Amino acid sequence: MTPGQGIYRRRASLVALLAALTLASAIWSLGVGAVKVPVDVIVNTLLNLDGDQQRYIILKSRLPRVVLALLAGGALALSGAIIQAVIRNPLASPGIIGINSGAALFAVLLVSLLPDLPPAWMPVTACLGGLSAAGIVMLVAHFRTLSPAHLALIGVAVGLVFEAGVDYLLVTSSDAERSAPLIWLTGSLWGRNWDHVSVSVAPLMIFAALALVLTYRLDLLSLGDASATGLGIRVPLLRLALLAVATVLASVSVAVVGVMGFIGLMAPHIARRLVGGSHRWLLPTSALTGMLLVSLADGLGRAIAPPLEVSAGILAALLGAPFFVYIMLTTASEQDG
Amino acid sequence: MPLAVRYVLLIAVVVAAALWSLTLGQRGDIHLSNILSLLWVDDGSLARSAVIDLRLPRTLVALFVGVNLALAGLALQAVTRNPLASESILGINQGASLGVALAVVLPFLAGVPLDLMAILGAALAGLVTFAIAGGLGGRLDSIRLILAGVAVGAFSYACVRFTYTLDDDLSRLVINWVSADISSVSVQQVLPLIAWSFAGVLGSLLLAHGFNVLALGDGASQGLGIDPRRVRFLGAALAAVLTGASVAVAGPVMFVGLVVPHLCRFWFGQNHRALVPAVALGGGALLVLADAVSKLVRFPYETPLGVVCALIGAPYFLYATLTARRLA
Repeated sequence: MTPGQGIYRRRASLVALLAALTLASAIWSLGVGAVKVPVDVIVNTLLNLDGDQQRYIILKSRLPRVVLALLAGGALALSGAIIQAVIRNPLASPGIIGINSGAALFAVLLVSLLPDLPPAWMPVTACLGGLSAAGIVMLVAHFRTLSPAHLALIGVAVGLVFEAGVDYLLVTSSDAERSAPLIWLTGSLWGRNWDHVSVSVAPLMIFAALALVLTYRLDLLSLGDASATGLGIRVPLLRLALLAVATVLASVSVAVVGVMGFIGLMAPHIARRLVGGSHRWLLPTSALTGMLLVSLADGLGRAIAPPLEVSAGILAALLGAPFFVYIMLTTASEQDG
Repeated sequence: MPLAVRYVLLIAVVVAAALWSLTLGQRGDIHLSNILSLLWVDDGSLARSAVIDLRLPRTLVALFVGVNLALAGLALQAVTRNPLASESILGINQGASLGVALAVVLPFLAGVPLDLMAILGAALAGLVTFAIAGGLGGRLDSIRLILAGVAVGAFSYACVRFTYTLDDDLSRLVINWVSADISSVSVQQVLPLIAWSFAGVLGSLLLAHGFNVLALGDGASQGLGIDPRRVRFLGAALAAVLTGASVAVAGPVMFVGLVVPHLCRFWFGQNHRALVPAVALGGGALLVLADAVSKLVRFPYETPLGVVCALIGAPYFLYATLTARRLA
């Protein structure tokens, strides 16, 4: 056995382990909440076996949530991994460069200006918002050479502008409407149903597949602009395409589950520790990690104090903010030393 | 223009803005023509009581919260030598909010005054931010400081939002307060705020020389016999106290501490001795104006002050990050 095969096996078994953990957390999260459902009943219901079933709670209420958690977690993580690779910035993530806030602003605008529009428009509008936020940040980065931290700072500033708009819309909407989008925007899977799954599953799957197709090119890009150009890659075009894919992935997930801060930052970093920097491995592992994180956060949010629910987005931020600081401190010391 | 004339102009702006803001509201019988007589003469009319009991406390809260937050921002910018620093960017505002939210939600903290909880929260958040960015010892990395503040702010704010998911009455209370809705403040809340403002002006004036010397760099300030660490500590503590005292009354009003010192530097230069009164007056003027705007934007409905300030301040912050030369 060559050493290469050893690494391959190690990575493959890590990915398998991660997939198993994700599956386990999804099943666990189906069971927790105001009504506890034992594992055997869940399995019976899902596979339609004989014995006790809880069709209504599992199939109508919890399964769509878990599916959305997996979809959104995977999409945010893929988006974060791509953004970190394209702008070569370990601090970058869809939240930090303003995509989440942009998507949220446009989504809230749509809800408050055109409430009668069918929900299928929501992901499209959110994408427009995400693209405009990312566009501003990228435009600035294009005209000035910026350190990673400075780029993150400008992204934060752009995000704050969009958030101010969201705040204004939320506060000025009438009281009855106020609480629903507020809870939704803090990154919550509360009240999500199969409709939300059906509007988001197609774009997320298509763009996730695109992301996986482009992994080989991401590896070339990480060799540096000069080498990538020498290998026949049109670097600026590829960058733009990758950023667009990442923005769409993040925006669509914001459109269905709200802003889950820091998932797009944490998942790729954890995945990089596990399987290294080769994007063929990094991207799927990131996606799995993101799925695991969001489904865990959603399950935990329901398990802490039933029947109350803590938004998954809040738990993600509580975990993610310290993580961001940790990444910032380690990056800075690498640059110093 | 001599310094004194500029101060007088600023005072005139504050007074004019306050009078204008007092005339705004649901009643049709209060105008600029009769506002002065309503303020001075107790004629027993409903208009008089609307002005004195309802509108005056609110305008005064806006005025003195503006003074406090602007001074806090000035102190933070001097202490960190960072033009982007301000209490909302460094997470201090959000830390103070967390302190208040805890006091509202946790039953065993019911007896503790809100001011104290807000100040403790502000100080703790400030400490964490500074510690992440390299401490008060002098090697404060400017961009790291801001990003650390953003992370600390996000963390504290997530904790505050946590209370939204609790009991409905509690969450409504916290939401109204977080969006800095000052439409229902009382006279009892104004008096301590005024006391804090006077303490703030006095403290900033005492530290002004230290701030000036700090701008020259640590070596120079040690040569001039001033311990930079002491000035930094006192300045940061002053900022935390002023922020906490304001947030306890009005909620986390964002970006005042960033915008006002910037604008005042254009007009009053870099000397902190001249800047302190100017920033105090400018902060008061800005928030009184923002409060007036918050009554007007969707008349007859009100828009919370915090939202108006965010709409003004967030674009300014973006502009400041794009043009800040020292950060690149």
